[in-house]
Amino acid sequence: MLTRASDYIDLKNGTVDRRIFWEQSIYERELERIFARCWLFVAHESQLPNTGDFITASMGEDGVIVARAADGKIHVSLNSCPHRGNRVCFSDSGNTRAFVCNYHGWGFGLDGGLKGMPEERLYRATPGFQKKDWGLRQARVESYLGLVFATFSEEAPTLAEYLGDFRWYLDAVLNPEEGGTEFLPGVTRSVMTCNWKIPADNFSGDIYHALWTHLGGAEPTLGKKGGVKIDNENSWQVSVNGHGWEFGTNMIGNAATMGDREILRYMKSRSDSIAARLGAFRRDMWGSVASATVFPNFAFLPGYFSFRIFNPVGPHKTDLYAWTLVPKNMPAEIKERFRLGTMRTFSPGGILEMDDGENWEHCTATNAGYVTRHQRLCYSLAPSGEEHTPDLPGIVHRGQLSDANQRQFYKRWAELMDAPTWAEIPMAAPTKQISEVA
Amino acid sequence: MDVATARGAAEQLLTPWAQGAPVDEALLRRIERFLYKEARFLDQEQHRDWYALLAEDVFYWMPLRENRQRRDTRREIDPDNVALFDERKADIDLRIKRLETGKAWIEDPAGRHVYSITNIEAFETGTPGEFEVLSVFTLYRNRALRDESTLMGRRRDILRSVDGDFQIARRLILLQQAVLLTKNLSVFF
Repeated sequence: MLTRASDYIDLKNGTVDRRIFWEQSIYERELERIFARCWLFVAHESQLPNTGDFITASMGEDGVIVARAADGKIHVSLNSCPHRGNRVCFSDSGNTRAFVCNYHGWGFGLDGGLKGMPEERLYRATPGFQKKDWGLRQARVESYLGLVFATFSEEAPTLAEYLGDFRWYLDAVLNPEEGGTEFLPGVTRSVMTCNWKIPADNFSGDIYHALWTHLGGAEPTLGKKGGVKIDNENSWQVSVNGHGWEFGTNMIGNAATMGDREILRYMKSRSDSIAARLGAFRRDMWGSVASATVFPNFAFLPGYFSFRIFNPVGPHKTDLYAWTLVPKNMPAEIKERFRLGTMRTFSPGGILEMDDGENWEHCTATNAGYVTRHQRLCYSLAPSGEEHTPDLPGIVHRGQLSDANQRQFYKRWAELMDAPTWAEIPMAAPTKQISEVA
Repeated sequence: MDVATARGAAEQLLTPWAQGAPVDEALLRRIERFLYKEARFLDQEQHRDWYALLAEDVFYWMPLRENRQRRDTRREIDPDNVALFDERKADIDLRIKRLETGKAWIEDPAGRHVYSITNIEAFETGTPGEFEVLSVFTLYRNRALRDESTLMGRRRDILRSVDGDFQIARRLILLQQAVLLTKNLSVFF
């Protein structure tokens, strides 16, 4: 039984107690203290261009409806009728004026408010009953550069504070071009029988696995002598408030594994323009060999621009939803190439993604063994110490091949798990002027 | 294959099913034999033998599935959407090459597959020598000690008669799962 989560994480020696990937009691506390309190990704604004557009999503195990209402705002409503609890919306997406519960016909607006029900006069005759008290529960909703996040915590800091200086890095993939970004239509959805933290920590800082896991997948496009090469002198790990990004600095390294010369030609043609917009450093991050996690479970791959959530379904099962993000102004022909290139590499049948799921499943399943789960895992790789550079915000380590970000991920995990209120959760002080682009 | 041709192939696969005359019994038997042989090649990981059954201009497509309200007028299956497979012949070659590297660790030890092909119907199309072939597949996979999954779905093929045998010119694969309930699609259909 969990007492203090920090006892499960040894930052000094870089070890993690394996019970955090297995035990139901730890998982229940994650739902309460992480998934019910953090800002969670729910949609890209481009998925909801018109009034009445909606998608359904999950925040932890809480189902939600994400809808654009007549006021133009995006509302996130709990997808459960407050009358008897039934799921209200069963569609993955659509356009509607109202959501009507199948059970007794209670109807809710795009903003979640209770609009009416059969035999409404009986409720009007009921002392104390007011429709305004019985809408779908609303989450707080905020956006950053097209990405919509929500939280059910009233006391959470703003999204801007939650992301903190990580926004400065996020601009490398969310703001390289004029005109904003969009998701290509369609979401790939699959399930992995693994604990949600295993892929989330992987994306925050584990390029190390690519050298071995992805040998078979990388060889057909990069060649036998190619493989994924890492230059540990000219690559970085950065972490802010548990969000982590490991990256190289050659601008196109990840994109190259899609094996499409036209994509690389196009990306190179954008080099000067992106450098003028974001500076050379973030230009070089744009499509480099890299991966990132926005704590707790939103992750992306620069270069493929696959954005994904690892949503928990119990301690041993994770739903993986993935979308492809492109600048709106990208030529249609190049968008088409990304649609196909991302599918061929990072989708459930992608030549790179296929190699990951099986590893993560068995990293989870082995913990069924009592002796096995009472071992600690090695997160100690630290070839270089923390660097303090005025240019780069956050906790910065030189060298992608490192467990630095993953240790920060678990540090953050323990901070949230052990804090009864948001006031006790430390926040990194902002050091960068972040450009607020609408 | 350029984008317009690929979209044309996708649209052909989305036209109403079974509009042509049913093929005669002898031709149906030959088509059935072809599909069983194909399934055997996949069962036994004879990927290059299977690859040889694909036409040079093959369009091989497994679109995503979505839960939609019945009154939703958008097409559930749209060629512009992200897909699970949206392949030309060279792309399938790339996927087989991954298996041939010997470095796809998750394929070693080998898993066990069995394909069952049923509900075979075949119809004439407007093009002589090309036939619309409908079938249902069941793919059972088992790996390691107790990893298993069963994937079922429908296929709509355009088979082309070539030198007394057939080639797969178009294939639509409709998996009947909105969320893929298996860890990967390291298989062909």
